[in-house]
Amino acid sequence: MNCNDSILLALSREQREAVSRRTFLGRSASGIGLAALGGLLNSAGAAVSPEEKPLPHFAPKAKRIIYLFQSGAPSQMDLFDPKPQLESRRGEDLPGSIRKGQRLTGMTSGQKTFPVAPSIMRFAEHGQSGMQFSHLMPHMSRLADDWCMIRSMHTEAINHDPAITFFQTGSQLAGRPSLGSWISYGLGSDNKDLPAFVVLTSFGSGRKDDQPIYDRLWGAGFLPSKHQGGKFRNQGQPVLYLADPKGVDRGLRRQTLDEIGGLNRAHHAVMGDPEIQTRIAQYEMAFRMQSSVPELTDVSGEPQSVLERYGPDVKRPGSYAANCLLARRLAERDVRFIQLYHMGWDHHGGLPKALEGQCRDTDQPTWALMSELKERGLLEDTLVVWGGEFGRTIYSQGALTETDYGRDHHPRCFTMLLAGAGIQRGKVLGATDDYCYNITQDPVHVHDLNATILHLMGMDHTRLTFKYQGRNFRLTDVHGELIRAILA
Amino acid sequence: MLKTSPLCGFVALLFCAPLAQAGVAFNRDIRPLLSENCFACHGPDKDNIKAGLRLDQREWALRPAKSGDRAIVPGKPEESELLKRIVSGDADEVMPPPKEHKQMTKEQVALLRQWIAEGAHYEGHWAFQPPQRPVVPPGEAPHPVDAFIRARLKKEGLAPAPEAARETLIRRVTLDLTGLPPTSAEVAAFVRDSRPGAYERVVDRILAAPAYGEHMAQQWLDFARYADSNGFQADYSRQQWPWRDWVIDSFNRNQPFDEFTVEQIAGDLLPDPTRSRVVATGFHRNHRLNGEGGLIPEEWFVETVIDRVETTGLTWLGLTLNCCRCHDHKYDPITQKEFFQFFAFFNSVDETGTLRTENGKAGAGNTDPVLPLWSPAEEKQAQILRSRVREAESASVGAKGGTPELKAARAEEKKFMASVPSVMVMKERQEPRQAFVLKRGEYDKPGEPVGRGVPASLPPLPEGAPLNRLGLAQWMVADTQPLTARVWVNRVWERLFGVGIVKTSENFGAQAEWPVHLDLLDWLAVEFMRPSVLPSVNGASASRWDRKALLKFLVLSETYRQSSQVTPRLMERDPENRLLARGPRFRLSGEAVRDQALALSGLLVAKVGGPSVRPYMPAGVWDETTRYGDLRGYKPDQGGGLYRRSLYTIWKRTAAPPSMLLFDAPTREICAVKRSRSNTPLQALSLLNEVTYVEAARALAQRMFREGGATHSARLAWAFRVVTGREGLPGELAILEKGLLARLESYRQQPGAAADLIAQGASKADPTLPVPDLAAYTLSANVLLNLDEVITRE
Repeated sequence: MNCNDSILLALSREQREAVSRRTFLGRSASGIGLAALGGLLNSAGAAVSPEEKPLPHFAPKAKRIIYLFQSGAPSQMDLFDPKPQLESRRGEDLPGSIRKGQRLTGMTSGQKTFPVAPSIMRFAEHGQSGMQFSHLMPHMSRLADDWCMIRSMHTEAINHDPAITFFQTGSQLAGRPSLGSWISYGLGSDNKDLPAFVVLTSFGSGRKDDQPIYDRLWGAGFLPSKHQGGKFRNQGQPVLYLADPKGVDRGLRRQTLDEIGGLNRAHHAVMGDPEIQTRIAQYEMAFRMQSSVPELTDVSGEPQSVLERYGPDVKRPGSYAANCLLARRLAERDVRFIQLYHMGWDHHGGLPKALEGQCRDTDQPTWALMSELKERGLLEDTLVVWGGEFGRTIYSQGALTETDYGRDHHPRCFTMLLAGAGIQRGKVLGATDDYCYNITQDPVHVHDLNATILHLMGMDHTRLTFKYQGRNFRLTDVHGELIRAILA
Repeated sequence: MLKTSPLCGFVALLFCAPLAQAGVAFNRDIRPLLSENCFACHGPDKDNIKAGLRLDQREWALRPAKSGDRAIVPGKPEESELLKRIVSGDADEVMPPPKEHKQMTKEQVALLRQWIAEGAHYEGHWAFQPPQRPVVPPGEAPHPVDAFIRARLKKEGLAPAPEAARETLIRRVTLDLTGLPPTSAEVAAFVRDSRPGAYERVVDRILAAPAYGEHMAQQWLDFARYADSNGFQADYSRQQWPWRDWVIDSFNRNQPFDEFTVEQIAGDLLPDPTRSRVVATGFHRNHRLNGEGGLIPEEWFVETVIDRVETTGLTWLGLTLNCCRCHDHKYDPITQKEFFQFFAFFNSVDETGTLRTENGKAGAGNTDPVLPLWSPAEEKQAQILRSRVREAESASVGAKGGTPELKAARAEEKKFMASVPSVMVMKERQEPRQAFVLKRGEYDKPGEPVGRGVPASLPPLPEGAPLNRLGLAQWMVADTQPLTARVWVNRVWERLFGVGIVKTSENFGAQAEWPVHLDLLDWLAVEFMRPSVLPSVNGASASRWDRKALLKFLVLSETYRQSSQVTPRLMERDPENRLLARGPRFRLSGEAVRDQALALSGLLVAKVGGPSVRPYMPAGVWDETTRYGDLRGYKPDQGGGLYRRSLYTIWKRTAAPPSMLLFDAPTREICAVKRSRSNTPLQALSLLNEVTYVEAARALAQRMFREGGATHSARLAWAFRVVTGREGLPGELAILEKGLLARLESYRQQPGAAADLIAQGASKADPTLPVPDLAAYTLSANVLLNLDEVITRE
């Protein structure tokens, strides 16, 4: 036993787990004595970057985020941004004065005409705020007084892979850490038995060849890989390798862990390497996860009335509804960054019918999740985000009929919804022109959204940095302004 | 709470000469400060200079700024505005500005003051000057590495550690050089071998093993962003494994590093472009290829070429060229124009730069230029089938959609071609494409046209080198090139010692960490290029750029052979072991952890090379995020494919093998030259529960019965020795025996559970062994394979 052992042992198990020599020496070549260890831990026991003052930078409004990413790009004019006056322009060619030379994807750039396709959805005002939703969202619209709707989102990317990558990592090109891993890096985990960053994916009514997603969207990029998102699988065991092999019960597994721990401790007494102690701690955490994760995913204890709120899909693992229920349970357990990806919104053709299907998948479960958060007092310190990677074009992709049309990708304006911690309720920010093509008021860029998300979590996006290749990288690159108009 | 400043000061004190030493060294002490704190606004990016002040070069730094103030007055720190500004208490005046969140420490300010007082002399960036062979410190040790290291340890008041035990040493060097553990027989032979040169004989034996080439190739695949899929969106498959075979072979036949470089960059342009040399060029076709509907081809052509520039910069030159595609580099003397001059070497391949396989559409397979790897007989067959297609084409003129004969001929040709392996290679167009500076790096904003060239801050192309990829490759390995040898030597050092002499092994620019032993680095770089003392390997004397000789030289040093025990004093003084007062100790890569488990269990199939295989992977990993593309519905191989070394595992970029990602493998979407080394509970779950390891534990348990003796204690002692390389201490064996006996009890009462456990994995349990016993031993083996010291190279 040496003096460093006693210092390490004096820390709580959480603190020991949170700090491995590498965690806080990872980027600095300096020799911090272990005696200084205690001073580097914040109250939650999470390690902080020695390059920065301890995090969070200021008191957070949100303790956790539930990010409901709608992959494929939901059509804003059919859901949130009505343009009833466009009916009189049905079928007209989109004027050049509106398009202003915007680059089109290779899918419609070859079209001879760009006929205006007004939405055939019916809109109404909801709640006290009068926020408008289409009839496809009867449930989410009931929360009109909780949502904040931003109609003036914009991005540069026009294709899915770069666009989603941009939303999640701040760059269209691969290699940078995702939003969740920045948050994990900055704040660590508040729950000692579950990861800080969990990802849930779902398919629903979308067509078979709708847009895929990729590991890079929750990857850690150049941050230490422990910050990568822990993906809960939508089939089979939720966390890979969680379950003991058949034939090994908890008692037997505990016994083997005791042996591994005992042998590791004996070896540590000889070698003195603190990494061994970290490994012992990680094995203990693994054992705890073997209970905490099944406890989390076992919804059999939920009352029938709760399950019914989420709709019939809730019983199907890997559905958006099931994932929303899990999201509430994750929030209750203080998992910091909970991200859902629902695929199938990429409606190049057959939009009205397909959109109906997507809304059937997501409308009720989203409402159920939000209502539950409210009822349990969690919405006050949870930030909820709903949206996709870009918008859709007002002109029809392919043939326009009375009842059918398609829409191509549109980066210049789209709608996202936020709610919860630190967000103004019942607020609509931004406006688009008559064609739902250009922003006329209060443009909000992807970087601005990300800066604001970090802000609500208590971090200054310009100070949450990581030195890599000689440069202090950050999620928002050299951009991003807080969207003050929506902050409560 | 600790702030930034004391840590940086600590850095300065630990790695810079003590301040009391006369003379501030610009490259060591001043450039890093200026680069980190000033260059972003007052540095080499000439289009973004603030206040007309440039500090990266002396002639500019001494001029008055726009305000008329002089930042630096040599010899007169009290008149130097730079010093006034950095200590100013006024938030509007202080430099750097508060919003940059950088603050200089008192020690750093003192260094700057002293530097100005001593005349404000600049030096060219150290990594851009050709290395000179420094004098080996005399009287320290016979091995030059030891001489340098010990001289430094003396200065720092530290002493080297004793040599590691023989069992530890042979396991360490075998894992380091082959990624596999030594066999018990090999360990025993080395421990017993009292003749001189015992260790050297071990090293020679290891370097001759094919496993060496496989292990070295594994890392190269990260640099090369090798994968079996095209990347992006649907992520269809491709076939590049013949290039991987070439790399393994190149390491095993000890091809000199300069030839290794030239063939991969420009094998097709050599005077004698043999098939092997052309296959080598697959290096720069390993990048992703985008086939997403709606993509703009010009955009992705540009990204393809840019990937080659950035990969070349990172892999060979240690330069962050990616930082100057949109603007001049902020820290290094490399302009955006020079980025596109570099780009111009790689933009004239006969390709579209996007995914085009079947019928010119995105799909599975290789995209032109493609080299079919047929035998002479197969080539003849291909020609016959092609001429049949041509005949059928002319016969079917006018027939809409083609005649049935044409369809059949095409189908037969396609089927045949699919059966012949092929590989994507580089092939130049007749006429080079014109390159342009792209404004802000955007594909649709061409600016000034540029020709091929290399940055002016580095030496020019060698005399007589052609102005194409071949000339560029020759430039990269020329005697005058200051970077390549240093970068490579540093990588080899990093691999053996856990961290490079230059910690930022991916970046040798102005923002690089100052090398902890610059003299040693330069000595090694020069020696690598022009060996004078590098040893012969298996009778072959060292050539220039000799990879095996370099490795042997380093592992023969006493520095490498030190015990890796950590003392509390060392933890305080040098926690990352930069000074090497002890041997290095760090976790094995995910690939080595898996390969070791397979080897120890006897399951490993040692076949070298060939197409990628499909070991165990949980069902649905490929399908969860995409429902189309051909890489779906993963089914593990049956038989040998399950037990090959990990570098052969099929790699789909957008859904890479989770067991490898958990252990810090990069996704292979882009070049990755350094991995983090994490320590997480998910790794623990993987090693405890993943079927690969459970099956390996059972197979190892079977070996315990067959080879370990007749009693529990004998078998446990045997297994401990086999798995760790050393004899178990009585206390350790007692822990294992206690656990085993308790389990035997349990499993004898639950034979069903025992049967379940030993049924894990595709191989059948040995039916001659009693089921409960085998289950109990399986968990003992599971314990052993999870020990920290087993997944670590000590």
